[in-house]
Amino acid sequence: MTVVRRIGTALIAPLIAIVIAVVISAGVMLILGVDPLEALSVMFDFGDDPVQQITSMVTVLNRAVPLFLAGIAVAIAFRAGLFNIGVEGQYRLATVVAAGIGAMVTLPAPLHVVLVMVVAMTVGGIWAGIVAVLKVTRGVSEVISSIMLNTIALGLASFLLTGPFLGSEPGASIIRTETLPESAWMPSLDGLLGGLGLELPRRPLYGFLVIAVVIGVVAWVVLQRTRFGFDLRASGLNASAASASGVDAKRMVLKTMLISGAVAGLIGLPDLLGRNHNYNTDFTSGLGFLGIAVALLGRNSPIGIAVAALFYAFLDRASAPLQAADIPSTVVQIMQGTILLAVVVANELARRLARRRAEQANRQGDGAPPVIDPGAATAQPAGVGGPAPATATTDGGGTP
Amino acid sequence: MRGARMRKAGLRAAALLTAGSLALAGCASDDSDSDSSGSGSSGGGDGDVKIGLAYDTGGRGDKSFNDSAYAGASAAAESLGAELQDLSPNADASNRADLLTQLADDGFNPIIAVGFAYADALAEVAPQYPDVSFAIVDSAVDGTGLDNATGLLFAAEQGSFLGGVAAALKTETDHIGFVGGVDVPLIQTFQAGYEQGARAVNPDIVIDVQYISPAGDFSGFNAPEKATDIAGAMYANGADIVYHAAGGSGQGVFEAAAAAGGLAIGVDSDQYETVGDAALQQVILTSVLKRVDVAVQSFIEDFESGDVEGGTDIVNDLSTEGMELSTSGGFIDDIQAQIDDYRQQIIDGDIEVSSTP
Amino acid sequence: MTESAPLAVELRKVTKRFPGVVANRDIDLRVRRGEVHAIVGENGAGKSTLMKTLYGMHRPDEGQILVDGREIVLRSPNDAIAAGIGMVHQHFMLADNFTVLENVVLGQEPRRGPRLDRAEARRRIREISDAYAFGIDPDALVEDLGVGDRQRVEIAKVLYRGARILILDEPTAVLVPQEVDELFANLAELKREGLTVIFISHKLDEVRKVADSITVIRRGTTVGEADPRTTTARQLAEMMVGSELPTPETRESTVREAAALVVSEVTVHAPDGRALVDDVSFTVHEGEVVGIAGVEGNGQSELVDAIMGLRPLVAGSVRLGTHDVSAWSTRRRRESGLAFIPEDRHRQGMLLDASLWENRVLGHQTQAPSVRGPFIDRRGARADTARIMREYDVRAPSPDTPAVALSGGNQQKLIVGREMSGRPRLLIAAHPTRGVDVGAQAKIWELLRQARAEGLGIVLISADLDELIGLSDSLAVMLRGRIVATLDPTGITPEELGGHMTGGRGGTTAPGATPAGATRAGGGVAS
Repeated sequence: MTVVRRIGTALIAPLIAIVIAVVISAGVMLILGVDPLEALSVMFDFGDDPVQQITSMVTVLNRAVPLFLAGIAVAIAFRAGLFNIGVEGQYRLATVVAAGIGAMVTLPAPLHVVLVMVVAMTVGGIWAGIVAVLKVTRGVSEVISSIMLNTIALGLASFLLTGPFLGSEPGASIIRTETLPESAWMPSLDGLLGGLGLELPRRPLYGFLVIAVVIGVVAWVVLQRTRFGFDLRASGLNASAASASGVDAKRMVLKTMLISGAVAGLIGLPDLLGRNHNYNTDFTSGLGFLGIAVALLGRNSPIGIAVAALFYAFLDRASAPLQAADIPSTVVQIMQGTILLAVVVANELARRLARRRAEQANRQGDGAPPVIDPGAATAQPAGVGGPAPATATTDGGGTP
Repeated sequence: MRGARMRKAGLRAAALLTAGSLALAGCASDDSDSDSSGSGSSGGGDGDVKIGLAYDTGGRGDKSFNDSAYAGASAAAESLGAELQDLSPNADASNRADLLTQLADDGFNPIIAVGFAYADALAEVAPQYPDVSFAIVDSAVDGTGLDNATGLLFAAEQGSFLGGVAAALKTETDHIGFVGGVDVPLIQTFQAGYEQGARAVNPDIVIDVQYISPAGDFSGFNAPEKATDIAGAMYANGADIVYHAAGGSGQGVFEAAAAAGGLAIGVDSDQYETVGDAALQQVILTSVLKRVDVAVQSFIEDFESGDVEGGTDIVNDLSTEGMELSTSGGFIDDIQAQIDDYRQQIIDGDIEVSSTP
Repeated sequence: MTESAPLAVELRKVTKRFPGVVANRDIDLRVRRGEVHAIVGENGAGKSTLMKTLYGMHRPDEGQILVDGREIVLRSPNDAIAAGIGMVHQHFMLADNFTVLENVVLGQEPRRGPRLDRAEARRRIREISDAYAFGIDPDALVEDLGVGDRQRVEIAKVLYRGARILILDEPTAVLVPQEVDELFANLAELKREGLTVIFISHKLDEVRKVADSITVIRRGTTVGEADPRTTTARQLAEMMVGSELPTPETRESTVREAAALVVSEVTVHAPDGRALVDDVSFTVHEGEVVGIAGVEGNGQSELVDAIMGLRPLVAGSVRLGTHDVSAWSTRRRRESGLAFIPEDRHRQGMLLDASLWENRVLGHQTQAPSVRGPFIDRRGARADTARIMREYDVRAPSPDTPAVALSGGNQQKLIVGREMSGRPRLLIAAHPTRGVDVGAQAKIWELLRQARAEGLGIVLISADLDELIGLSDSLAVMLRGRIVATLDPTGITPEELGGHMTGGRGGTTAPGATPAGATRAGGGVAS
């Protein structure tokens, strides 16, 4: 009963959000003169032949991987009550350094990939660590310092790209780092798709998907099941209480930002190791900021973030076919925007609802035994097993 | 896109009429890559030329590069009775390859990628569709091994040279400026031609040069506020004409010019026509036209007539009218003769314009 | 009860059900015009539900509400306001960065054309302020006001809307004794002007002092009226709980030889270098309760922080048992047997949005049964939370209930239970029964006594002087960061203790100071 209810409570917010977003998006589409149902069917149309379909799926997955990592990086900090806006700078800098250093060394294949990852995580961690150090020693808000460090990181990345790590011919339109040797390429999962009896996609399915899944599982276990995760979440829920309980607030800020930054450092690697094999002037930017949206959408839980990243990627993929069907691709942005807004609203609504329910249920537990209406079926406090809580939907019980 | 569809509908009859001749043209071609009968999922037999156009960041409506490509493609579509489909990339332009794939899967051929940023996506997608002809604006395919792609290049330094000539002839302070969007070699060719042209007229002219963002940071093509600041400083510093090669940031340069009472030179398309603001029109001395439309249109027409080889680059310059100087507003009518003189010297090879500053 | 004048408010057989539970049943309430009528009851007894009914925040399922003899139906607070009923909430609802005037008129602005008529608003606020001796300045910024003034602004806000019947929900909970006296003086003014005040409280001494009549609520229903002149606080309390009451008195000494805590010459500075705790030394033996008395803000909180390791020492040392823990982290101190009941449970004691079992883990993140290796032992923590709920009478549906859903008393009992688990050697109990109803208070006292008998050393900080005197084996008085007196609680009166707290001596009250008021207010001293 309680489990069912807990899951129910967890699903309330996303459901409310989807309803709100669908209604608003449909309304906007109608105003734009677009048939919402047509738009929806285009979004779900992955192509006519198996190759197109599998390619579309791979496109979604490949896009979701960096979004997921970005969401996790943001969420780890969020959980500790820190707003890491610097994910953008952290991953851009980490990627260019990892690409540069990765191209300079020769190593056997698995080690080479590991080295690139370690370098990226280290750079991301250090960059985020600066934010933490400024916060604990000087009291600088992490929001401000991470925004500023973003600017510095972008400048630094440009400098590294055009200076020490420059690998492209002078005069080339796209400036690149030296291309990574093949030993640093992450093998794709196309073999796996083939093994499943599927067609080969037109672009490789990132092997980094596996790493992302591992990161997600580890993040979940650490946050939800370990002492460290408890301390981290406690710091986010109530910093004073966490301190009084023995959490060293400063070290927690430092550790959290280092971990968040290290994960952020990985964001660029799916593209770097799986496809581009070099960092260039046209490397995908803005993933750090999208990560904030994804984390928010996923309510800072790894599973939620995975769903949110896939959802974002799914909408992103739809932008080309929508245009091909003469539907403005801005529909995608509108949906992404409204769903985000809806999630924020729905989270708050769900939180209040849950609180009110808990209070009602508790009122029963609190004063119940003596005042239970003799006619009422259940004489037991809620949560023990009566059907009573399910009916606790009328308002008025809560003490807001 | 709506426009494109309407045009499509209107031209369907014409397309049917010309289908036969197109098929003939296709047969006459000795290059199978340029076979104009549909390929991909649409299946063969309808004979329609279906033109696919994939834009660079900013998409349709940038009043510049992408719009110019669209103008060329739609002119070609009209003259050939072809279907035209254009796609814009998503916000972070991470789906360029997907756009090309979408077009190829939908049977479009030829497919034109607007902007050098498509180079990687093209290298990935083009080999997967050997029967489709691709073209990429501003990027060379020579040496990439892509034998079903054509690079549409521009001698931007030549056009910019004429812009420099116009600026040097028109300046009253012997002090002019250049605002580049992003400090990359492509944009540097604009700077190079501009400086050479200005110095050809007046070797002692002062030229302020500034880029909005460094290489690696593409925000400079879309930062009009920063452009306003930079150009404003140039005007305050004594420059009276500023040439911009900064894409969407150019608007900021015009606003700075209007505020400072100076003049500006537009780029790529005839910005006098596209700026959409009478007050700003008055500050646009001329525009260095990079005739993407001409290049795209002639590529499509070449494709249709089977003259596309693939694996080669086409350089559009003053001689092909791929580069020129706009005269809208009549601000440079008085110096047209001198400009024409320089143009002829370049075409004749008497003046060699370097593409590096 | 049979006077000719109609009653200002009368409730007849009011019943309010929430799904599965009856929060109020057959409530009868008779409030005469021009009186201060107190409603007392334990937390969770149904006082708030009753007040919400009366203020139109929800409608009763049965029964009648009569105002001035006429039956009315209240659909919303607006109806209540129209009927002349106003409510002053326990938590003030004022915009800090607005002036008094702006706060008072908010939503009811007198206008001249489209603009706020400040002159008119100012005139009316002055009128109210003068009529009831509120002494509030319409142009003062609310953020500059003290708690007492803010409360008067709240009352003025209600009066401004024309209320003739005022509901005050736990108005003294946030006040210091002096302010309590001022409030009571204000209430007397209101009464003299013919207004009716319904006063909700569980502080029985205050109620007896200010109320003209008292209605006691227990378990959702009215158990009777009492006359404050003839009923003792103890009798009232027994009516509230329905049984005989314990007292905090513990006289048989359990003090042992070994020291549990030795604080020597501890000094703590504010960031600006001011000494907040100044050269403080004392020892707590096993089985001993050392009470720290003092008007709030005289360094007690900082002393607690220093013992907990939450604030750096400038000088001195803290020893826990035989270890000098001065350089230890808070966690290490807790691991070695330091337990802490914080003065503000919401700030330092709980994760409100987390479940009860997670709150059980809090502070014991490194100790069984909360953890196993680097992992949280969810099953162990849940089971132990269930144990605490059972043993400490924490009324909640399950260990998975979010802490925010619990009443203050139940939250506090959970904290006490949590801090008592793991056999601590020293407990810092800061205001352990603050904001807790009588039943829970007795329970907590009982627990502290028990733990003390088992050898726990306790540092007790409280504003409740009866509690301090009753529970402590020895008393230290803090004033301006220093310990100014060490007293034997045996035989000392609250009046004498109050004198020490304000720097006076014995029972003689320092001029202008508050100890007399403080001690009279009994259960709720705070300043």
